[in-house]
Amino acid sequence: METDLWILLAGWLVATLRSATPLLFVTLGETLTQRTGVINLGVEGEMLAGACFGFAVAVTTGSPWLGLAAGALAGGTLSLLHAGLVLGARANQIGSGIAVWMIALGTTSYVGRGFVGQKVTPLPQLVGPGAGDGLLGVLFRQLTAPAPLAFLAVVLAAWWLANTRAGLAWRVAGESARVAAENGLRPTWIRLQAIVLGGLLSGLGGAVLSVDYTQTWAQEITKGRGLIAVGLVIVARWRPILVLPVCLMFGLAEVAVLRVQAAGVEASSYLIATAPYAAVLIVLVVGHRSARRSRTMPADLRSIFS
Amino acid sequence: MIMDREPLVRFEHLTRRFGELAAVSDVSLDIRAGEVLALLGENGAGKSTLMKLLYGIHPPSAGRILLDGRESPIRGPADAMRNGIGMVFQHFSLLPALSVRDNLLAAWPATPAYIGRRSKRAARVLDRLSVIAPDIDPERRVDTLSVGEQQLVELCKVVNLEARVVILDEPTSVLTPAEAQRLYDFVLRLAAEGRAVVLITHKLADVEACADRIAVMRGGMLVADFAKGERTTAETVALMMGRPAATAEPAPDRFAGRPARLVLREITASAAGHVLKGISLEIAGGEVLGIAGVAGNGQTLLAEVVAGVEAPSGGDVLLDGESIARRGDEPHATPIGYIPEQPRDNAVVETMDLSANLRLRALAAGEADGAYDVAALIRRFNIAPSEPTRRAGTLSGGNLQKLVAARELGVPRPAVLACYPTMGLDLGAVGTVYEAMFAQAAAGAAVLWISEDLDDLLARAHRIAVMRGGAIVALVENDGTLTRDRLGAFMTGAPAEAAA
Repeated sequence: METDLWILLAGWLVATLRSATPLLFVTLGETLTQRTGVINLGVEGEMLAGACFGFAVAVTTGSPWLGLAAGALAGGTLSLLHAGLVLGARANQIGSGIAVWMIALGTTSYVGRGFVGQKVTPLPQLVGPGAGDGLLGVLFRQLTAPAPLAFLAVVLAAWWLANTRAGLAWRVAGESARVAAENGLRPTWIRLQAIVLGGLLSGLGGAVLSVDYTQTWAQEITKGRGLIAVGLVIVARWRPILVLPVCLMFGLAEVAVLRVQAAGVEASSYLIATAPYAAVLIVLVVGHRSARRSRTMPADLRSIFS
Repeated sequence: MIMDREPLVRFEHLTRRFGELAAVSDVSLDIRAGEVLALLGENGAGKSTLMKLLYGIHPPSAGRILLDGRESPIRGPADAMRNGIGMVFQHFSLLPALSVRDNLLAAWPATPAYIGRRSKRAARVLDRLSVIAPDIDPERRVDTLSVGEQQLVELCKVVNLEARVVILDEPTSVLTPAEAQRLYDFVLRLAAEGRAVVLITHKLADVEACADRIAVMRGGMLVADFAKGERTTAETVALMMGRPAATAEPAPDRFAGRPARLVLREITASAAGHVLKGISLEIAGGEVLGIAGVAGNGQTLLAEVVAGVEAPSGGDVLLDGESIARRGDEPHATPIGYIPEQPRDNAVVETMDLSANLRLRALAAGEADGAYDVAALIRRFNIAPSEPTRRAGTLSGGNLQKLVAARELGVPRPAVLACYPTMGLDLGAVGTVYEAMFAQAAAGAAVLWISEDLDDLLARAHRIAVMRGGAIVALVENDGTLTRDRLGAFMTGAPAEAAA
């Protein structure tokens, strides 16, 4: 009886974690990018590129690990386009981000045609079957490396931003490029690094989605997850550590939707599928009202709209 | 003795033009190590511009700058810092969203790679701060500090650069008497360490307190350069203004028995680290009520609640019996004349021209803007440069302050709320602003006047309330027997017997 409860609980937990993991990487990446004062709507495209090329490499080489690495690289490479347009050509950040997204949408649809329906070798479970029947045992038996890796990345990024000179430089660049330059920092270089890191993480998130989570490739597989990540950055108030609960909440809502549909509830599946987004919206409104007085948005982000 | 030393910085026939305007005109001046140079002059005399030429913000139009006897390589603020030149502006370059500690670390060349709480090397960035501003908690966000506190942090940032030349632009205009004294002591110590200190100021008190040498500027030109004590105060003022000093403007007679016009009823509020704990005040038409207190004791929040910028959590603000407090999410246009703190951030649109800024309230209220005679306001408040089509952002701090005063006091108001209305103004402009403020009172407006200048309050307010810790701790008639010391005791919370 008790074991059944554990298994049920672990089932939800595992499903939530697996659903949230790709989003964790992307949201973390976008948070870090935005902390330096750059918004990148191209993360949707970078995630898509990561999912497509990661899956392609995983299928071709037979190694899911190589797939994940290739996905990160694809995202990072595509982010260079956004960086070039925004930092080099001083293009509008919103326009540039959407362009990157559209380019990725077309390219991945073309490249991915041959991989629809293909299978990848799955990543190994974290522990073998001998790990016991407790909650942790059940949990780790069903999890793969990306989930704990995402947790680690979030904690590390939060610590790095708050406790290192380089992290401080990123925060200063996000508040004011002018003040950063006056203090001898190079805000453009910092932003380039932040955009590329954001691209690498988004690409990795995309690859985790196709190689590890769904283990398939489909056109537009990300279904707006990259844009959701941009929204979740606001919900997390630009704080890396809050990325964790925010993404987990979204993951939980997504799992709940799948289970409700599986349970055969009589409602339009399209409408049910909007539930996670509605949940995010509610948190955004509630969080925004309570946080109205503590301004946490990097000040230089506002200049994007002027 | 000091005069014999080779100057650290030498200006040779420097000129800087902005279009037709020669902000600095043929100035030759030396800055020497171990010396405090007071650069004295009215607003718009070219003091700040001259120092910005050294700091690399503007290149000179003609003439040259020598640093250690060689042509200055400075092309911008980052260069200036590398060459040991630090400047504290009236308009700070602190990042409001970051903590005091992070702001200091960001500017400090010796910042270690690990800056966490446990880092002993990072903690050394606070050494200077603990000397000049021991009360400031380094973990607080800069936007929760008062203007005076922010200036001390900014100063600390510059001193941390181990600058050989420290330039302070109107440093005492935002400080309390006690803070100013601490600043003077600190300036003298910097000079004793062998640094050159340039004090840009229009206050003779600053000169008296710590200058070694005085350079007077007027209309972009250097009109005198002499050691302290060589001229009398009256001579110095005449040099600065080009005319004898005007006498102080007294407040209008108070009309007893008038009903209260502006009523603050049990106001409680909290925002950005400040709180108000049940503030009640009644100001009659024709009355000038001064609020004294050390900056950061809730004055700013009180002003913002009265002006409808912040919503109170309890209580109400009534004007002629009607509530004017903010309700809900959007601030509303206040009917009262409001001069906020830091007008550059809070009261002008820098990208719009003078004319539009002066008519801003008519725009917001959707009324005809005939009440605002732009040319007359610019003349009356002596705003320079005076072209109505000039962008407000190009004006100096003092002239922006005049611009806001002109808009808020230049037309009849039912009530006036003025926060440090003469901050950064020269003597002539101070007279104009007080005159306009008291003219409002004489015409029947209720005037609420927040100030840190106790002498001004004692000379001009009818009643004085003292704020401390978000509450009114004293409310006294200014009947001629009130003293600076008694107010000071209320402000610092000294024992009652000392205050009595």
